[in-house]
Amino acid sequence: MNSTLNRIVLNCALLLGLVSAPVHAETLLIKGGEVYTLADAGKLGRADVLVRNGRVEAVGPSLSVQADRVIDAVGKIVTPGVIAPLSELGLTEIGAASATNDYAVTGDSIGSAFDPLPAYNPKSTLIPFNRAGGVTRALVFPAISLWGDNVGTPQRVFAGRSFAIELNGDFDSVVATDLAQKAYFGEAGGQLAGGSRASAFAKVKNALSEAREYRDHRDAIRRGEWRELNHSLADLEALQPLIEGKRPLMLTANRASDILEAIQLAKDFNLSLVLQGGAEGWMVAQQLADANVPVIVDALNNLPIAFESLGARLDNAALMTKAGVTIAISGPDYASTHNVYLARQSAGNAVANGLDYEAGLKAISTNVAKIFGIEGGVIEPGAVADIVVWNGDPLEVTSYPEQVLIAGEPQSLVTRSTRLRDRYLNPQPGHEAAYKY
Amino acid sequence: MLLHARCFAAAFGAAVLLAGCGGDDNGGKGKTPDFAHQDAFPSTYTVPESKPVLIRGATLLTGTGEELDNTDLLLSDGKIKRIGENLKAPKDAVEVDGKGKWVTPGIIDVHSHLGDYPAPAIESSQDGNEMTSPNTAEVWAEHSVWTQDPQFPLALAGGVTTMQILPGSANLFGGRSVTVKNVLGRRVQDMKFPGAPYGLKMACGENPKRVYGGKGVAPSTRMGNVAGYREAWIKAAEYKKKWEDYAKKGGDKPERDLQLETLAGVLSGQILVQNHCYRGEEMAVMMDIAKEFGFHIAAFHHAVEAYKVADLLAENNVCAAMWADWWGFKHEAFDMTEANIAIVDHAKACAMIHSDSAIGIQHLNQEVAKAMTAGRRAGFDIQPKDAVVWMTMNPAKALGIAEQTGSLEKGKMADVVVWSRNPFSVYAHAEKVYIDGELMYDRNNKKRQPRSDFELGILDPEGVRP
Repeated sequence: MNSTLNRIVLNCALLLGLVSAPVHAETLLIKGGEVYTLADAGKLGRADVLVRNGRVEAVGPSLSVQADRVIDAVGKIVTPGVIAPLSELGLTEIGAASATNDYAVTGDSIGSAFDPLPAYNPKSTLIPFNRAGGVTRALVFPAISLWGDNVGTPQRVFAGRSFAIELNGDFDSVVATDLAQKAYFGEAGGQLAGGSRASAFAKVKNALSEAREYRDHRDAIRRGEWRELNHSLADLEALQPLIEGKRPLMLTANRASDILEAIQLAKDFNLSLVLQGGAEGWMVAQQLADANVPVIVDALNNLPIAFESLGARLDNAALMTKAGVTIAISGPDYASTHNVYLARQSAGNAVANGLDYEAGLKAISTNVAKIFGIEGGVIEPGAVADIVVWNGDPLEVTSYPEQVLIAGEPQSLVTRSTRLRDRYLNPQPGHEAAYKY
Repeated sequence: MLLHARCFAAAFGAAVLLAGCGGDDNGGKGKTPDFAHQDAFPSTYTVPESKPVLIRGATLLTGTGEELDNTDLLLSDGKIKRIGENLKAPKDAVEVDGKGKWVTPGIIDVHSHLGDYPAPAIESSQDGNEMTSPNTAEVWAEHSVWTQDPQFPLALAGGVTTMQILPGSANLFGGRSVTVKNVLGRRVQDMKFPGAPYGLKMACGENPKRVYGGKGVAPSTRMGNVAGYREAWIKAAEYKKKWEDYAKKGGDKPERDLQLETLAGVLSGQILVQNHCYRGEEMAVMMDIAKEFGFHIAAFHHAVEAYKVADLLAENNVCAAMWADWWGFKHEAFDMTEANIAIVDHAKACAMIHSDSAIGIQHLNQEVAKAMTAGRRAGFDIQPKDAVVWMTMNPAKALGIAEQTGSLEKGKMADVVVWSRNPFSVYAHAEKVYIDGELMYDRNNKKRQPRSDFELGILDPEGVRP
């Protein structure tokens, strides 16, 4: 790609409003890496990536440009940053310390209107740790909490609203809000709804019906000249983007029959549906593909851990992808949100069990961005420069990021984990001498 | 066999209780009483008769710090018979082409709850923790094992041949662990590792004080935890002395106490302490308690802060079982470093991986790969031949079975995994898993993939769980 074309691309990007006004015209060149663009250009054996003002300006072999900064990526792998489709990043610090957790509310006070956004803490230690693992963006969702004090307390079938962050730890690191609404089907839904999954189904249906009623009679309802509704106005407002099809409803379901119920509900209400879990998704993969329902899957979960996931298997992601389902791979549930970056290991295992390699990479980046309508997940002109330079195959357990760019900015890869390591390996003079052994 | 029958009779004949088992250990003058009662529920595991197996031309990670390229391995009569180049195949041997394959000892997981917390995880099957008293040293994990837990075969497919099943961590003393071979059996005794010593599960830190403090009883603090341990060891020492005096001098036979018996088993060196303990300073305190009462801690489990006391672990000859990267689920798991295992290993303490998870147990090779990588990033030269020890030989040491298994050495049990490639890769599969020379799992042969009863007729009445 020549530089004239580069300029045209950049100008187009500016015209489209994709690039915010440059503070300073900084350029960065990632030279000579094996680049997985995960876009139309596919994989480029040895290529350069030019970044200007936080965006990719050009990708191609031997770009002859001067850059303010050059990253030598010869012998390295270059990919878009990992995007976690499901996390509580910034909403939790220590799992069993309830004061540090803000992702779940109990009681009947609030449901779909719950917005965890004001609780978001960009200075959480989980953010640099997962960034050092290659995660550049993440979806942040509320959740039910079945840990410690919350066991057995009534919670709503709707968990609430979500947002997306970039993992630079800045106070303005929220990149999108109100991305999807989360609700529970299946066994969890049944428990939340009073003992039957059918009740969870009825509750979701009732909420969506009332949301429609509210849409059609908003003024009368607001004036109090309407029948009493089961949901608060705030809850019904929060559901409007769903019934308009503008935002997806993310439903958790694992059993094949629960998944089919979710698909039918989405059809009845013209919803954009995202399925979370999908342990038995392979059994109804064709129906998921036909209904264009993407699935966020925990690719390491092959345990028949519940009667709703007796069909769990390691090639679930591969089988669904072969049937044409768009999948995203989340951090393994057993490792919790503290280690969402392990979505890489999960994707690697999915590949080891039949998933196409690039499909594995897309499942932890490109597909996540597409499913939730956020930026990221590709390296192509105009794309946000969330880029990772790896020492090897990013899905391999012996690989790690050597450079992480978020919106073109090189990030620190220091974490509490590396700080503690270094303190005990090389105590500094002074009070750190206490750590010498 | 004869010995078993004798012990069986002893265990059920009230009059001769404790007086005949294991060669007059209890009653004989001057002998140490048998507190472990190893033969109360004896292992009925039998080594199946299998043809000799010759794995040709593979890369062997021996578990003793060696990598042997293009080497043959002969298994015969359930044992590792020979290691070398161009070995001659016995007449009836099954030959396995090992070209491009890697071979390791069977993986040993020192921390599992399979069978005690089985899948599906429903209320009625949660049998892993007797949370009714801070001291339940009298319970034995083996008596909760559901042998048909479908998680056993999944762990086998990950190359796990031996595991220790432990009670949970709510109690200061959780009860006895059991070490099993990863084979299907009707009885838990059919799985029990022959001759493996029992373990005593102990727990430090948050869990006991949360569970009992939350009920308004002791302990509610870490100092309460320590008082609880010491009080129990004082009683155990008295109990032990009573039985020793009886063994020496005769007289009135002391009354048997299941709880104290297990603790006395620790004090007499018959039972190994397996101690759930996250924090460095708590591990240090526990090692002091061990000194005070004259026992030895075999291993700290979940030792997230082992790197802070690695020198003390080495000095006291205590192993540490660690995760590669779990952290943050509790305050005592906040100071995680991914280099933990490598740092402990570098300090010449006995370091190992462990799972505590039915998912993690299936991928311990990957967990070790991550820990190895973190160690290299910390500046240590760690090769696969070194890292494999963290999932084979060192766990065998922590369980007291290193004489029998844990490495590819002549005369040891033929517990062996053939990997599709270097096992420290996310793409590696355990292709063949041998236990005592028997091909227990074959990735390419459905007939050699054991299934538990639970998996029959699931989802499809005519099939097995996929």
